[in-house]
Amino acid sequence: MIVADLTPDEFAERLTTIGLGIRFGPFKLRIHSNLPTFARVAYPLYAPYPLLSVDHLLDFHIQISSPPGLRRWLRRQACFALDGHFPFAPYTVEHAFPALEWGINWCIATRAHHLLLLHAAGVERDGRAILFPASPGDGKSTLCTALIHSGWRLLSDEFGLVLPEDGRLLPVPRVIPLKNESIDVIRRFRPEAVIGPSFLNTRKGTVAHVQPPIDSIRRAREPAWARWLVFPRWVADAPLSLQPITKSQAFLMVASNAFNYDVLDETSFRLINAMVRTCDCFTLVYSRLEEAISALDQLDRVDHV
Amino acid sequence: MVLLPAGKALIWQKLDEHFIVYQPSSAETHILNETSALILASIELGPRSIHSALEWAAMRLGVPTNDLDIEEFSAAMVRLDELGLVDCQDDVMVVSE
Amino acid sequence: MSDKSSENLRAQRLLLDALRHPDELPALSAADWDLLLRVARRTRLLGRLEVSLAIRDALAKIPERAADHLRASRNVIKHRQTLVAWEVNRLLWALADIDTPLILLKGTAYLLAGLSPASGRIFADVDLLVAEERLDEIEARLLARGWFRTQIDPYDDRYYRVWMHEIPPLRHRERGTEIDIHHRLLPKTSRLASSPESLFAAALPLSNRRLHILAPVDMVLHALVHLFLEGDPEEGLRLRDLLDVHELLRNFNDRPDFWSELIPRARELGFQRPLYYGLLHAQELFATPIPASLTAELAQLAPRWPIKVLMARLIRLALLPEHPDHPRRSAAIARWLLYARAHWLRMPPALLSKHLLRKLWLRCQGGRKRIDLAQLDLKQQ
Repeated sequence: MIVADLTPDEFAERLTTIGLGIRFGPFKLRIHSNLPTFARVAYPLYAPYPLLSVDHLLDFHIQISSPPGLRRWLRRQACFALDGHFPFAPYTVEHAFPALEWGINWCIATRAHHLLLLHAAGVERDGRAILFPASPGDGKSTLCTALIHSGWRLLSDEFGLVLPEDGRLLPVPRVIPLKNESIDVIRRFRPEAVIGPSFLNTRKGTVAHVQPPIDSIRRAREPAWARWLVFPRWVADAPLSLQPITKSQAFLMVASNAFNYDVLDETSFRLINAMVRTCDCFTLVYSRLEEAISALDQLDRVDHV
Repeated sequence: MVLLPAGKALIWQKLDEHFIVYQPSSAETHILNETSALILASIELGPRSIHSALEWAAMRLGVPTNDLDIEEFSAAMVRLDELGLVDCQDDVMVVSE
Repeated sequence: MSDKSSENLRAQRLLLDALRHPDELPALSAADWDLLLRVARRTRLLGRLEVSLAIRDALAKIPERAADHLRASRNVIKHRQTLVAWEVNRLLWALADIDTPLILLKGTAYLLAGLSPASGRIFADVDLLVAEERLDEIEARLLARGWFRTQIDPYDDRYYRVWMHEIPPLRHRERGTEIDIHHRLLPKTSRLASSPESLFAAALPLSNRRLHILAPVDMVLHALVHLFLEGDPEEGLRLRDLLDVHELLRNFNDRPDFWSELIPRARELGFQRPLYYGLLHAQELFATPIPASLTAELAQLAPRWPIKVLMARLIRLALLPEHPDHPRRSAAIARWLLYARAHWLRMPPALLSKHLLRKLWLRCQGGRKRIDLAQLDLKQQ
């Protein structure tokens, strides 16, 4: 069953009563919300995702609701909670959906320490994956979105989930948040992409969410193996440049960027070491998406470094 | 160069020209330049003085001992001591447990 | 019984049964595991569950998703234990020729002395007790060798130094572990008098003789004092800290003179009430074996009725976890009352009102809740 099997009313009702059970990649969530605006935005964006019974053993019990107590009447606010704790400053009610999405990121980053959590986007084709480790100005979300609308499957736009036992990548294909100009860039690049409403004036500027192609969501249980590490950087008007980088540099950048490199002690060290040895590592500087995609399409024809 | 761990021994990996070392006692990962890596490697063979480590390193690099900078060695040793990678006992250095 | 009450009872039973009868864990349903994990996480007992199952080789017999959560918890705990042990190693390095006993306290002691409360337990900081007259020298040495004072405002700094029992926490500039250096177990301002000299006299060395731990009786009493006087109003009294006490009592049960020394020492240090409350509730919740010969003497440590009954109820409400979906106002009130009482015991009224007013002011300013999720660096988690 998927979320679209519910009517919008049923969806909204679950959110306010027993909670909505939903699955994102390996994670099972229960979501509560008493905000009608949230339900209206979330329904179409979450429609293709697996629907769960809330009697399952779940990973995260979260809510995005008006604040408890008297404040509910003072301003229209949305508060994120995990297991009844409200750790963060409230949002305006209009930003409930992005707030919940950021909250889910926080849940994964703080709890999923049975996995190595890289800060990276990932896409896969023909059984081989490209990981894009994050860095400021990387434009990885935009690049990732463009790739998954050009024949690649989405693994994740934010979390590279690595299984410690064998280094496999676990997909977590969630809606991808795009910021500011990137929203229009993708609209132009792929007019048929499914993009949610734009949320203005969030702490990160204007944000809108792209729903991944159905294929990426359907294949969320299919792991992948990393074959290339590509460190992207978007630079206005820059000519395309795909350059190999040293493995020691790649190690440093991936390890220092991971969410929980420290926590997994020696395991992290060995996993990332193995990854940079088996992967070909590159930097990618680009200004035009089409050129970047074309270069990445041809990666398996690049000589091994 | 890959040395297998025994107990709390350091775990080495060589990537390109760099040495990346995992230190199980502290759960820290260190990127060592060649000088520090040589000091550490020499000491893993047994306790030795700074001059002895210098000679050993020179031999490994195939250069005369005078070519190596004692100041740089001493500075590296201080840092390794602070990180707990070596243990300086009087004038003799041993690898930390 | 209302829905809320019965849900809370169910949550509490699940947790207490899991702690007392871990052999039955593989038989739990998925829905029970879901609740148990949430409640255990709240009370910081996930690690304990993992250890109980691991030593019985039973992790493969529980749902895989539950095992993942437990494994995640174990990874975090193992990592933190390494960090704490390493910080002690670096402390010894930094204080190399300063010859004064360093008494490890709380989790740091359990870990380095190999005591069972360390098992499956998460520690954040290193806790030390040192002689007051060496404090300045020790702090100066640490500051010279790479540690710094954590950033606190002048009020808090003074609060620590003049009124409290520890200096403000120190942290090394390259590592995250905080060091809390105490010079007494309770604040100078506290109503429970406690002079540290006898603690030092009774302390026992570890195999590295520069490190010491409190004598068994003192360790138990300190754990009880910590449990009852160092909680916070959100979390209440930590069930895990009571479990530590239970574990310590089991560890020390067979030591000659342990039980006969416990009550006299409590009287000597002024810790009778924490001892009374602690043993009462440990027995009720964990069936801690306490010699029958002590029952009469323990009863004498109790407060008068009706305080005795009131405190028993408050403590129970504050100790036992709530169902995360069904918080109870009564429990929240109990936590606040006990928090206020703890402060009352730690400082005289004039200081107390000023201190609590300031804390209240900070809360109204939203001092606690300013964390902006959108800007939060997830790598610090």
